[in-house]
Amino acid sequence: MILVNYLAAAALLSIGLYAVLTRRNMIKMVMGLSLMEAATYLFMISLAYRSGSTAPVLLSPPPGQTEHSLVHGNVADPVLQNFCLTAVVIGVAVTAVFLSVVVRIAQHYRTLDSDRVRELRG
Amino acid sequence: MSPAEPGPRAEAREHEPTHRRWVGAALAAGLAVALGAAMAGLPSDHAALPAVARYAMNVALPRWGLTEPVNEIVYGTRGFDTFGETFLLLAAVVSVILITRSKEPRRGYFGESAAGARERRRTDPAAPADASEQAARAAERREQDEPGPGDRAGPATPDAVPLGTPAPETAEAMTVVTRTAIRMALPVLAVAGLYLAAWGYSPGGGFPGGAVLTGVLLLVYAAFGRRRVARVIRPGLLEGIELGGATAIIVTELLGLILRGSFSANWLPLAAPGTILSGGIAQLFSASELIEVGTGLAITIFALIGMGHDWTPDERDSGREGGS
Repeated sequence: MILVNYLAAAALLSIGLYAVLTRRNMIKMVMGLSLMEAATYLFMISLAYRSGSTAPVLLSPPPGQTEHSLVHGNVADPVLQNFCLTAVVIGVAVTAVFLSVVVRIAQHYRTLDSDRVRELRG
Repeated sequence: MSPAEPGPRAEAREHEPTHRRWVGAALAAGLAVALGAAMAGLPSDHAALPAVARYAMNVALPRWGLTEPVNEIVYGTRGFDTFGETFLLLAAVVSVILITRSKEPRRGYFGESAAGARERRRTDPAAPADASEQAARAAERREQDEPGPGDRAGPATPDAVPLGTPAPETAEAMTVVTRTAIRMALPVLAVAGLYLAAWGYSPGGGFPGGAVLTGVLLLVYAAFGRRRVARVIRPGLLEGIELGGATAIIVTELLGLILRGSFSANWLPLAAPGTILSGGIAQLFSASELIEVGTGLAITIFALIGMGHDWTPDERDSGREGGS
């Protein structure tokens, strides 16, 4: 029933998009973007899941398996776990840049409301 | 409480400005439906591993001596991807430095006193201050590292403040309980961060290790105040270390191109799997990544904390002060 995870990721992404589209508070827009990032993490980790599999670690295999059988056996997809690592780092970087831009906008326009930013025009 | 009665919750809802709720809801629902339809066609959790994943499982031990295929992918098979990601992180750090840069040249991250000087002068300086206000102002000046002529010098460190000292409390550091707890936890956390990078399942936890070390720096800052960390956490030092880590990554990857004929190829001898030197350049890459991520996150966070009070004057204010 990994499909439930996929649908949860789709729902999370849509909630994040809804927040980005409808909120006028820019901090909450950044929070919506973070939510969309979190949806991609959930999606990729779910996509890596295999039914009845073990972790892709060759150090001390579970009982009844050897390192060699594990290489050809039933393990979770390590490539997608690597994608998730990459996505986390990029998510942190992007959020930091967004937040610093938001603080600068707030200092310049004295508001966090994106509609009022458009009205003031510096 | 009846729904019509304005309570604190209703007030909070009233102040939440939104923008075209229904258009947003329709678009988000459309995205959800499209994604849901697409995801119904994804391979199930019984599908065979993709070829690239099986390849990584196959080469992890023989070619890299790594017992953890995820690590092998990060620093080996998809090393070029990690290389690009590192420099995306560096680009983000540079952007944050550029955006948060204050108007004055910056020696430390904390320039509040200089930036707020104009506003402080505006409060009536001629008004006589009573004893408690004088004490509070002296404490504030002490926190801002600019003791006035009549102030007695504050204690050099928060630890030198005797217990039970009456107010004004300084906001510089946390209480003695928190400071002691953090003193206990710090070495454990620092060692745990380095362990993630050096050992773990197999060497190569540079990314999480760097994040843990940034957490250590933040704990020190929160517990002991900025004066205690200002000597270490300053842009000149952190940015130098960050670029040192980035240079180490470039050199590590380029040496693969020069010595082995392909970018990010392993050019170091392999140690036995599961030891600290196994993995060849993966360990070198991961250690550089530890430096890069640790200092990069610290620079970003402290640049955001130290953004200062560079407020553009209000229109009312600018009229009074002749504009800016």
